[in-house]
Amino acid sequence: MIRYTLTRLALLVVGLAVASVLIFLTLRVLPGDVAQLIAGTNSTPAQIAAVRDQLNLDAPLPVQYGAWIGGILHGDFGVSLITGTPVLAELAQKAQVTVPLGLFAMTIALVLAVPLGVLSAILRGRPGGTALNVGSQAVAAVPVVWAGMMLVVVFAVWLGWLPAQGFPRAGWQQPGPALRALLLPALTIGVVEGAMLLRFVRSATLQAIGQDFVRTAAAKGLTRTQALIRHGLPTMALSVITVLGLQVAGIIVGAVVIEQLFSLPGIGRMLVADVGNRDLVKVQGELLVLTGFVLLVGFAVDLFHRAIDPRQREAA
Amino acid sequence: MLARTLVAAAAIVATAALALTGCTGGSAGTPSSTGTPDPEASAAIRLVLEPSNLDIRQTAGAALDQILMDNVYQGLVSRTPDQKIVPALASEFTKSADGLTYTFTLREGVTFADGQKLTPDDVVWSLTQHKTQAGWADADTLSRVKSVTASGQTITITMSTPDSTLLWNLTGRAGVILKKDDKVDYKTAANGTGPFVLGSWKQGDSITFERNDAYWGTKAKVKEVVFDYIPDNQAALNAALAGEVDVLTGFDANLKDQVEAGGDFRLVLGKSTDKGTLAMNSHNTWLKDKRVRQAIRQAIDHEAVVKALGSGQPMYGPIPQLDPGYEDLSAVAPYDPAAAKQLLKDAGAHDITLTLTIYNGYGTTIPQILVSDLNAVGITLKVDAVEFPTWLNDVYINKNYDLSFVLHTEARDFENWANPDYYFTYDNPQVQRLYQQSLDATDDAQAAGYLKQAARIVSEDMAADWVYNGASVVAVGTNITGMPSVNVNERLNLAEIAKSKG
Repeated sequence: MIRYTLTRLALLVVGLAVASVLIFLTLRVLPGDVAQLIAGTNSTPAQIAAVRDQLNLDAPLPVQYGAWIGGILHGDFGVSLITGTPVLAELAQKAQVTVPLGLFAMTIALVLAVPLGVLSAILRGRPGGTALNVGSQAVAAVPVVWAGMMLVVVFAVWLGWLPAQGFPRAGWQQPGPALRALLLPALTIGVVEGAMLLRFVRSATLQAIGQDFVRTAAAKGLTRTQALIRHGLPTMALSVITVLGLQVAGIIVGAVVIEQLFSLPGIGRMLVADVGNRDLVKVQGELLVLTGFVLLVGFAVDLFHRAIDPRQREAA
Repeated sequence: MLARTLVAAAAIVATAALALTGCTGGSAGTPSSTGTPDPEASAAIRLVLEPSNLDIRQTAGAALDQILMDNVYQGLVSRTPDQKIVPALASEFTKSADGLTYTFTLREGVTFADGQKLTPDDVVWSLTQHKTQAGWADADTLSRVKSVTASGQTITITMSTPDSTLLWNLTGRAGVILKKDDKVDYKTAANGTGPFVLGSWKQGDSITFERNDAYWGTKAKVKEVVFDYIPDNQAALNAALAGEVDVLTGFDANLKDQVEAGGDFRLVLGKSTDKGTLAMNSHNTWLKDKRVRQAIRQAIDHEAVVKALGSGQPMYGPIPQLDPGYEDLSAVAPYDPAAAKQLLKDAGAHDITLTLTIYNGYGTTIPQILVSDLNAVGITLKVDAVEFPTWLNDVYINKNYDLSFVLHTEARDFENWANPDYYFTYDNPQVQRLYQQSLDATDDAQAAGYLKQAARIVSEDMAADWVYNGASVVAVGTNITGMPSVNVNERLNLAEIAKSKG
C-alpha cells in the first residue's frame, strides 16, 4: 500500500509539472498583453512601453517560467499584474464562494441521484422506473445556463423567494443570506450533475441486482431490497465514488458558467475576468491550483478504491 | 481606452429581436419621487464593466472614470452632464486673451479622504506628474503646458502655445489632483477630495462608496452607493425586478416594457458621445478605393440599426451632437443600396469579401445587420468576433484588419482622425492642419468651427462609417432622484443622487 501510494504521488507530481509547462506556454500564445490593456485605446507606443517595462513583461520565457516555478516551490504564487495583490490570497478569498458552491452542488447531486437511481433500478420495467429513467435523461441533457435561467425566473422573479444574483457583501458573516445566495446556483449545477450521476447509480444498481451474492442473500430469506442495501450498496459505492471524482471537474466547469450567470464573486468569474485582462501571472496560478485540485481528487479516489476493494490489493 | 470604448456594450449585447418600444428621446430628466429623501439610504446601481484596478493615474478605461471621477477624485475644473466646464477645486478661473496663461483660485479648507490638507503644492505636483510620467493616462494631452506654479492660493498654468482643449483635458484624468507623494496603493485604494470615499471593493462583485462627511461642498444625499457589476442585461433585469438594485445603467432599451411592468422603474434615454464606428482600413486592396468605402456607407441602413437597438440616433460623421464641431452630415452618404451597387461596379469590385473584426462582448445585432446590408449590394462580410485583448493586438496595435467595429465612447476625441498612426489609418494633411488650428485657437467658437470643417472632410473622404450615435439607457427606480442620464457610460456624477424610503 505504501509503495502504491508513493507511486501515485510521484505520478501526481509529474502530472502537475507537465500541466505547469502546458499552462504557461498556452497562455503565452494568447494575442495581446496586459500592458496594452492597461494603457488602452488612446495610448501612445511610448506609454505602452513604459507600462511593459514597469511590469517586467519583456523577460525571456524560460526566465519567466523559472521565476514562476521557483516562487511556487517557496509557496509564492506571485502577485496580480493588475492589482498587485498576491494570487493565493485572491484564490483563498474567492474560494469562500466557489468551494461551498461546489460542495453544496455535490450534496444536492448525491441526495437526488442515489435514492432516485436505486429506485429507478428497482422499478425497472414499471411506469415509475421508466418515468425516472426518461426524466433523468432529459435533465442530464439540459445546458446548465438554461437550467439556471429557468430557476431564476421561477424562484427569484415570480416567487421572489431567492435572490436572482449576487452574494452578500458581508460574505459568510451573514450565513443566512450567503446560503440563500448559493441555493439557486448550487441547485442549477446539482440537478444537472445529479441527473448524470443518477444514470450511473441506476446501472450500478442493476448490475448489483444481477450479482450472485445478492441473489444468494435473497435466497437466504432477505427481500430483494434488503439484499441490495446490505450487500449491493458497498459495491455500488465504488463506482459512484469514481464517477463523483470525475464530476469534480464538471462541477468546476459548471461553476465558471454559473458564477457568470448569477454574478457570484467566485474563482470561476475571477478566472474569466483575469483571462480577459491578460493577467497571466494570476491566470496561470489559478489554473495550476485548479489542476492540482482535480489531480488530487483523482489521487484520493485511487487510494480509496485500493483501500476498500480487496480485489485490487490481491491483483497487485 | 480599455473599455472606455466598450462600456456601453450592453446596449448592443442584447436581444434585438424583442418588440420595439417607443422610448422618450433626448435628455429626459430623471423621474421625480414623491417620498422624502433618506440621508441614511444606500443606493444600489448596476454597472456593466468593472475596472480591472482603481489606478486613476495609469489604468485606462471608462470603467474607472465612470465611478471615480467627480465622486472620489476631482480636478481644478469639472464638466457638467451637458459638457460645460465648471469650477471644482478651483473656486474660479480665468484665461488670458492670448490663451497662454490660465489662473485658478484654489479653494481653502479642502481635505483628502484620509484627512490630509490639500495644498497649492499638491496641485503643482499633480499636474507636473501628469505631464511628465510617460506611463500615466493622457500624459500627452498636457504637452503644450510649459509650467505650473503656485503663489498663495493662486495656481498659474503657463502654455508654450495655446491649447483650446486644455480646460477640457483638465476636467479629465490629466487634471486629477492627488496628494503629493501619497503612500496610498492606488491600484486597490483611493484618496481623493470628492463627495464620496472608497468604502470597499469586492472584486468580481461590487464597489462601495461612502459619503465623505468632511467634504468641502454640499454633502452627498445618500449614506452609501453600491455599484453592482452585472454584465448580463437579463440578469440585471432580474435583479431589478427582485428589488436588488435601484438603478440600471448600460441597459437595453428593448427591455423597456419588462423593466417598467411593475411600476417601480422608468426607462430614461439620455444623449451620449458613444460612436458606433466602423473603421475601414485604407491599406486594404479594396478599401483604399473611396468608391468602395462610400458604397459600404450607402449600403448600411442606419435607421434600421437604431430601430433594432431601440435607442440612439443615426450618425453620419465623426463628431456627435454633444461635442463641439457637430454638424448634420446625413446628406454626405445617405442610405441607397442602388447607388452603392453602382459605386462598386465603377470600382470594379465584383463579389468582394471583407472581414469584420469585432470584440465578442458586443453581441450579434450589429454584425448581423452589417452582414445582411453588405450582402444586399454584393459584398460578402465575414465576421471575426474576438476577445478584447486580441482586438487590441490585431487591430489597434498591428492595424491588421479590413473592417472593425468599436463603440468609441470618449467625448471630444476627434484627434484620432488627425493622427495618421491611429488604427483608423486615415491620413489627410488638411484635416491634420485644421485640427492643429483648432488646438491653436484662443476662442472656443473658432476652435469648434475648425473641427466642424475637418469633420465634414473626414465624412466626405468616407474615412469610416458611423453606424449610430448611442444613447445612455438608464432604468431608474421611482424612489430615486438626481440620477444623471446623459453620457453616464463616461462619467456618473452622483453628487445629487437621493433615495426615498419605501
